Amino acid sequence: MAKAIVYLNQFFGQIGGEEVADHEPEIRNEKVGAAMLYDQLLDGEVTHTIICGDNFMGSNEEQAVDRILGFLKDKEFDIFFAGPAFQAGRYGIACGAIGKAVKEEFDVSVISSMNEENPGVKMYKKDIYIFPGGKSAAKMRDDVTKMVEFGNKILSGEKLLPAEQEGFFKRGIRHQYFLEDETPAYERAIDMLLKKINGEDFVSELPIPEIDTVEIADPIKDLSKATIALVTSGGIVPIDNPDKIQSASATRWGKYYIADVDKLKNRREESFKTIHAGYDPKAADADPNRVVPVDAMRKYEQEGKIGSLYEYFYSTVGTGTSQDEAARMGKEITQELIENNIQAVIETST
Amino acid sequence: MANLIPIAKTVGANRMVPTISIPYPLGDPSTSEEEQWKLRYHRVGVALNALTTDINEQTVFDVEV
Amino acid sequence: MKLELGNFYVKDIEFGSETAFNDGILTINKEEALEVVYKDEHITEADLKIVKPGDMVRLVPVKEAIEPRYRKGGGPVFPGVTGSLLQAGDGRTLALKDMSVLVVGKHWGGYQDGLIDMGGEGAKYTYFSKLKNVVLVADTDEEFEKQEQQKKNHALRWAGMRLSEYLGKTLKDQEPEEVESYQLDPVTKRSDEVNSLPNVVMVMQPQSQMEDPGYNDLNYGWDTNPMLPTFMHPNEVLDGAMISGSFMPCSSKWSTYDFQNFPLIKRLYQEHGETINFLGVIMSNLNVVMEQKERAAQFVAQLAKSLGTDAALVAEEGYGNSDADYIACLVALEDAGVKTVGVSNEAPGRDGGSQPLVTLDPKANALVSTGNVSELIKLPPMDTVIGELESLARDGLAGGWEDDEILGSSVKEDGSVIMENNSMFCGDQIAGWSTKTMKEF
Repeated sequence: MAKAIVYLNQFFGQIGGEEVADHEPEIRNEKVGAAMLYDQLLDGEVTHTIICGDNFMGSNEEQAVDRILGFLKDKEFDIFFAGPAFQAGRYGIACGAIGKAVKEEFDVSVISSMNEENPGVKMYKKDIYIFPGGKSAAKMRDDVTKMVEFGNKILSGEKLLPAEQEGFFKRGIRHQYFLEDETPAYERAIDMLLKKINGEDFVSELPIPEIDTVEIADPIKDLSKATIALVTSGGIVPIDNPDKIQSASATRWGKYYIADVDKLKNRREESFKTIHAGYDPKAADADPNRVVPVDAMRKYEQEGKIGSLYEYFYSTVGTGTSQDEAARMGKEITQELIENNIQAVIETST
Repeated sequence: MANLIPIAKTVGANRMVPTISIPYPLGDPSTSEEEQWKLRYHRVGVALNALTTDINEQTVFDVEV
Repeated sequence: MKLELGNFYVKDIEFGSETAFNDGILTINKEEALEVVYKDEHITEADLKIVKPGDMVRLVPVKEAIEPRYRKGGGPVFPGVTGSLLQAGDGRTLALKDMSVLVVGKHWGGYQDGLIDMGGEGAKYTYFSKLKNVVLVADTDEEFEKQEQQKKNHALRWAGMRLSEYLGKTLKDQEPEEVESYQLDPVTKRSDEVNSLPNVVMVMQPQSQMEDPGYNDLNYGWDTNPMLPTFMHPNEVLDGAMISGSFMPCSSKWSTYDFQNFPLIKRLYQEHGETINFLGVIMSNLNVVMEQKERAAQFVAQLAKSLGTDAALVAEEGYGNSDADYIACLVALEDAGVKTVGVSNEAPGRDGGSQPLVTLDPKANALVSTGNVSELIKLPPMDTVIGELESLARDGLAGGWEDDEILGSSVKEDGSVIMENNSMFCGDQIAGWSTKTMKEF
C-alpha cells in the first residue's frame, strides 16, 4: 500500500495558535488533525505527520529543513503533502520550502495547496505541485480533496495531463503534447491570425516568460594583477575530445591545459578543433583562436595589461543544451575558478 | 563576447562585447591574417576594459574594429 | 500566375515489369528506376523498397522526402536544380499524391538526418508514416564527408529528385483525377472586394545557416545563404522553386515534400478573398551573423510595409540561434505595424524547464508551437530496419548519441531506441501539419 507523509503547521497540527508559532519541528508516528482527512481520501495510508511552527520555520528555515529531512531519512514514503496553506503567507512559504527540499532529497512527488494570493505560490510553484486553494480553512475539505485526487493519480501511474487540465499552478515545465482533436498547426495559425487581425482574444502557445536577470559583478580594480580565464560554449577541444563532450545537448565540459602555448594550434596540426554541431566548423577548425582567443590574451599578458591568463581554458557545447544543464556546468566551472583564485572570465560564445 | 547580443541579454549577461559571427567570433577567414589579428586583439581588449568598468545595467561595449 | 496541380491518388505501389501508373497503382520497373539513380557515378550501391502506413519498418538515416511530379511540357520539376531555369508556379504540374520518395543512407548518417517509423507508436512522430513511400536506400563514394557530422548528401538527394521525376513521368499523358487551382491577381490589380480585406503575407525563413555551399535550402538552385529577403509568388514554392537542404536537426527541417505541399500557404489560399487578401510570400532566410539577421528582418519589414501588409504569418525552419532571426523578424514586423503570428518549435530541454527560445521579446505575443526538439522518445524494436540503425548512435544525428552516463547508447542491442525528438524526420512539421503543441506540465 502506498505511504504518505503530511506536513502541517502548529495550528493544523493541533498544537495551538500564534502563541506556539515557535514550535520546533517534530514527527509523529500517527495521523494528526488534517492528516486524518488525507488518510480517508488517499488510496494508501498516511504513516506520519510532521508538525512545525510557522515562525520557527520562518526564522530558522535551514535548521528546520535539515531537521525534517533528518526525520524522513529512515522513513519509507511514496508521496508528500504539505498544507493546505490557504492565504496564510508564512505557512505557504513553509510548505514550499520543506516541499522543495523533500522533492530534491527523496525524489518523491510533493503536493501542496495555497490561495493564489499566497506568496508561497510565486516562490515555489516551479518546484512542487501547488493547487489553487481557498482563502481560509473553511475550504479545507475541498482543497485536500483536490490534492489527494491528484496524488492518487500519480500513485496509480496514470498519465498526467497538462497543468491547465489537472488544475495545479503552471510550473514553467513545457512538454510536447499531441492534441486530442488533432488540429494541425496551419489551422491554429490561421485562427490566431484572424483573431489578432480582428482584435479578438487569442492564446499564444508560447507565452513569453519573464527574462532572468543576474546580479552585476563588481569591476576588477587592478587588471594587471588579475588572473583571467577563458571559457567557451563553442566546443573547442583537443582533437580526440578526451572528455567526450557531446556535439549537441551537452552535459559535459572539459578543461584544457594551455600554459605552454602562445596560441591554439589547429585541427590540421592535430591539436584543437570544435565538436560543436550547431555551426559550420571550418573556421574554428582552421584557427581555434577565433573562438578561444588565447593568442590575444597572451599578448595582453606580455604587455602587462593583465596579470596572467589562467593555465586552463574551459569548454562545452552550447547547442540544444538545456538551461539547467548549462547552469549546472557553469556552477561547476565557477567553483573551480574560485578555488583557483581567478578574478575574471572572458566567455566566448558561438 | 558574443555575436548574438540579444541572446546574451536574454540569458542575463551584464557586460557584453559583440563578436563578428557565430562560426568565427574573432576573425573572419575571408580577411587577411593581419586584419583578423587586429580585430581579435582589439575586441579582447574591449572585453578586458569592460571587466574594469563599473556598470549599473546590462551594457553592450562599443567596438571600433 | 495560375498554377494547376493535377492530382493522381496512389492506392498502392508495387514492383513490376513496366514503370507505369494505372488505376491508382504505381508499378515500378526496379532495374530501370535504379539506372536513373546510378546516372550519378558517385552512387556506389542502391536499392529500392516500398513501405506503407502500418508496416513495422524503421527507416534511418532518412535524408530527404520528395513528391513525385511531372511538369506539363516536360520542364524540370525543380528548375535550376534538376534542369535549366524556368518560371515555376505558372501552368500545370501533375503529382502522385499520398506517396513520397524517401532517400535513406545505406550506412552513413549525419547531424541533419532523421528517423521514420512506419508503424507502431513511433509512427505518430512524422508525417511520412501516413504516406506510401518508395524508399531509395543507397551509398556513395563521397569519402570527404563520410566521417563528418555535417553532410551535404549531394549524390543521394539529387538521386532522390531524379527518381521522383522518373516516377512522375508516368503521369505524362494522363488526365488528373482532381485539379487544385492556385491563382492570385497581381498585387496592384485586385478587385475592390479583395482589396478591402486585411492584407496578409506569408514570411518564410528557410534553413540557410551554412556558409559553405552545398548544405542550405536552394531557391531555384540559388543558395539561400547569400540571399536577401525577396517577394515570391506562393505558387513558386508549391511548384518546385524551393528544395530542402542538408543542415539542421531533422525535426526542425522542411523536406522538399514539405515545400511542395506547404500547408500554411495552402491554408492562406483558402482564406484568400474570404477573410484575407493573400499578397504572397516574403522569402527570407536564417543567418549566422547578427548584422545579417538584423538586415534580413529589416528587409522583410520594409517589403511588408511597401506592400501594405496588415498581418503576417512567419515560419522558421530551425531553432537555436536562428530563433534570433525568428524573433527579430516578428519584432521588426510588429514595429512596422504588421500583426504577426509565428510558427515554429521550441527547445525547453529534455526536462522542459529551459527557456523555450534563445531570444525572447514580449512583442512576439502570438506563437504557434509545434514541438520540443529535446523531448526524449523511447521506441521498441522494429521487425525491419531500412538503412542502418547504428547510424542513429554512431554518426552524430542531432537526436542520437553513442553513450550517455544514464541513458547508455541511443541504439540498444535488441533494436529498441532512445532518442531526442530532434531526429524525427521533419517531425515538428513546421510547414503546418503538426498536431503537436506545447503544454505546461
